[in-house]
Amino acid sequence: MSVARKQRDVLSVEWIKLELIRTAYSTRGGLFAAMDPRAVLGWYLMLALAPWFTHNLTTIGCLFLLGALSVAFARVGPLVLGLFVIGLGFELVYLVLAATVFGGDFTTFVALTEVTAKIGVVSLASLAAFVSLDPEKLSDALLALRCPPTIAFAVSYGYRMMPILVEEFSTVMEGYRLRQLPPARPGLFGVRHLAHWATLVVKAFYPIFLNTAKSVRTTVEALEARGFTFATIDGRGRRIRIAGLRYGWLDLGVVLATAALIAASFAAGETWPIHRA
Amino acid sequence: MTDPVIEVRDLSFRYPGAARDTLRNVNLTIERGDFVAIVGGNGSGKTTLCKTFNGLVPHYWSGEFAGSVEVSGQDTWDSSVARLSWTVGYVYQDFQNQLVRPTVRDEVGFGPINFGFDDHAERTQEALDAVGIAALADRFVWQLSGGQAHRVALASVLALRPEVIVVDEPVAELDPVAAHDVYERLTALNRERGITVITIEHHAEFIAQYARSVVLMSDGAPVWHLPAREALSRSGELAEHGIPAPQVVDALRRAGIGEVARGVPEAAALLREAGLEVRGHAAPVARSHAAEAKVVAEARGVTHGFRSVSGEVEPVIRDLDLTLHAGERVAFIGGNGAGKTTLMRLLAGIQVPRSGDVFLSGDNTRSKRAGRLAERAAYLYQHPERMFLKPSVRDDVELFPRSRRDPATDEIVTRILDRVRLTEFADRDGRTLSGGQQRRSTLAIGLAMRPDLLLLDEPTASLDVASRDDVIAMLTELSAQISCAVIATHDMHLVAEWATRVVALEGGRIVADCAPRELFADDRLLEAARLVPPQVVLLGKQLGMDPLPLTVDEFEACLTRIGASA
Repeated sequence: MSVARKQRDVLSVEWIKLELIRTAYSTRGGLFAAMDPRAVLGWYLMLALAPWFTHNLTTIGCLFLLGALSVAFARVGPLVLGLFVIGLGFELVYLVLAATVFGGDFTTFVALTEVTAKIGVVSLASLAAFVSLDPEKLSDALLALRCPPTIAFAVSYGYRMMPILVEEFSTVMEGYRLRQLPPARPGLFGVRHLAHWATLVVKAFYPIFLNTAKSVRTTVEALEARGFTFATIDGRGRRIRIAGLRYGWLDLGVVLATAALIAASFAAGETWPIHRA
Repeated sequence: MTDPVIEVRDLSFRYPGAARDTLRNVNLTIERGDFVAIVGGNGSGKTTLCKTFNGLVPHYWSGEFAGSVEVSGQDTWDSSVARLSWTVGYVYQDFQNQLVRPTVRDEVGFGPINFGFDDHAERTQEALDAVGIAALADRFVWQLSGGQAHRVALASVLALRPEVIVVDEPVAELDPVAAHDVYERLTALNRERGITVITIEHHAEFIAQYARSVVLMSDGAPVWHLPAREALSRSGELAEHGIPAPQVVDALRRAGIGEVARGVPEAAALLREAGLEVRGHAAPVARSHAAEAKVVAEARGVTHGFRSVSGEVEPVIRDLDLTLHAGERVAFIGGNGAGKTTLMRLLAGIQVPRSGDVFLSGDNTRSKRAGRLAERAAYLYQHPERMFLKPSVRDDVELFPRSRRDPATDEIVTRILDRVRLTEFADRDGRTLSGGQQRRSTLAIGLAMRPDLLLLDEPTASLDVASRDDVIAMLTELSAQISCAVIATHDMHLVAEWATRVVALEGGRIVADCAPRELFADDRLLEAARLVPPQVVLLGKQLGMDPLPLTVDEFEACLTRIGASA
């Protein structure tokens, strides 16, 4: 007999949905969530660009630490952080394998690690910034920075669609789970179960998109009726939206502190340089 | 004296690519300040007509358009959807999809901000207050119940201060109490602000109670536009177009009274005037012998809940015990959020409870996979389209038996499709069928699983009255094939006509478990579970009938008996 079933709260589809909502709408709060969204975007650009101006491993390491610190301040949730760590871990394993298989040695590995670390810094900065910006703030900031209104809205509406899509996915998968019998035997290393599951995920796309498309028709009509297209032509809506944005002392403080820390990272790199051979 | 807000002249419209006109030579005048119900069967062009009022036809749906529509003196052809939306607000049947912003305040303010109104904050607040949702302003829209979401959709169109509001079938997706609430709000807006209200409605009770005039649509054109009372007296014509008369009107007619009543008290008064006072004539009510029958499913000390966004577990089912026997037809009732759906999913073994145990034909649901339990209990979703996984109805029906390598699959599928009268639609995609056909398809999917226990979530929601009666009749026919059937419903007609046992849930606990007749007799319970019994039951109650009549037939039988003994 198999293990008795019980209600799981973590690593279930429901949990993923909740985590996505918490992440998207920054319900956990955090340092950057209190800032002006334009300042957060500026801060993000600073940290995301900095690692590309150096090959010095000390500097990159410091920047990586700075990124990790930001993630802690932004109170990033376990799902995205977990995905990040898993991604980075797999990347490292892959690098070691690639280096060994293709006859490289430790220096090849280090060379490849440099790029991985740089991407890691960008990822950490992205996590911290976008977890802290709820879609409304992000789209207002984009509007204020003269982005086309369609893009600003797409950001906001994309987030709105996310829980709907996840919900639809879980319904369809549940339908298959109940109505299609899984393979009787798991096969070698559960390969049959894996194949069964993978087939279902692919099959699920057709119903998910047809069902979602049907409901989107109402949405598009409602958008039209409520002046969405009108606002893209007429500028008054934009003025009202961005009127609420204000830079504060916190914004200045965080940006200056980060600039100082980045400068310090570069200084540390100058003092104790580590370069690959 | 007349002050038309909408004037339609010689309007015809054909959707692009359609073979025939959806609207055919429509002439219609709607007076300012009226409360109009637009009625008609599925496909009669009601929704398309309403979409001409705010310019979605012809500006968004650009088909062949002839004739003219004037809204508040403005020809819609020369205007735009955006401009017309200041005059006409539109609340959709699937209003959940109309909400595009994450929080309630954003949603309501979306229109005014887009149009660049400097008083957008006041407009938003005013609209929130007008529908009584100021307290919800900072909620996320997906946290709202159906009734709350509908109010948000209404507030979001009110924020543009329209002269006309169109509401497409509010009853379809809401529980009856929430639907009455919507109509009360609309009535208040109509009276206090003089807003013209247009609703699309299938349910004669709502029309009788709230509308001032009625437009009957048939085959793309209005048959007539009459004051509500006169319209309702043409019950034969309404029934022909899929709008059966309200039960009170039917009951009066059977009692030989020609007049039309707009509500239960009025009907009771008319019956009393006619000297048809009924005294208590208790007839023996057959006791069910369910207690001795085989147990199909059992819940013991079940507690279940879900985690919310903030992380804590919100209890949905609390320490619940329930036993379902063979031969029972059970209705789970209770307001939105009472735990009906969760209980059904636990009974079907799709989920297992946080504590306590559920037994399905003697086996604990924890001991078997959900896919295996599906062979004993089938759960059918409230929204039929959620069950369509395949490109045709036949594929969907045969998915379950085929994957279990049942040699009789073809025979079973053919028989079941025939049984639910879908053979001719078997190769169509389920999503393209009408509401009633979709519901019958899901029934076929459920039947092909050949379960002992069939669980149906709101099987009659969002169906017009004719399709609804069809589904009820089919459920009754099918009872021989299934050992025990359970439905979760708000539809008290369904409860009265179909169920042999009612389980009322409130806050995750069972507050009543009895026969329908006993439930409807208990006023305190009805109040607590937010239930509105069918009109004929209320009428019987007002007249002091005992036992209460559950159907118009029973009501009539009771009357003749009194008449005969007098």
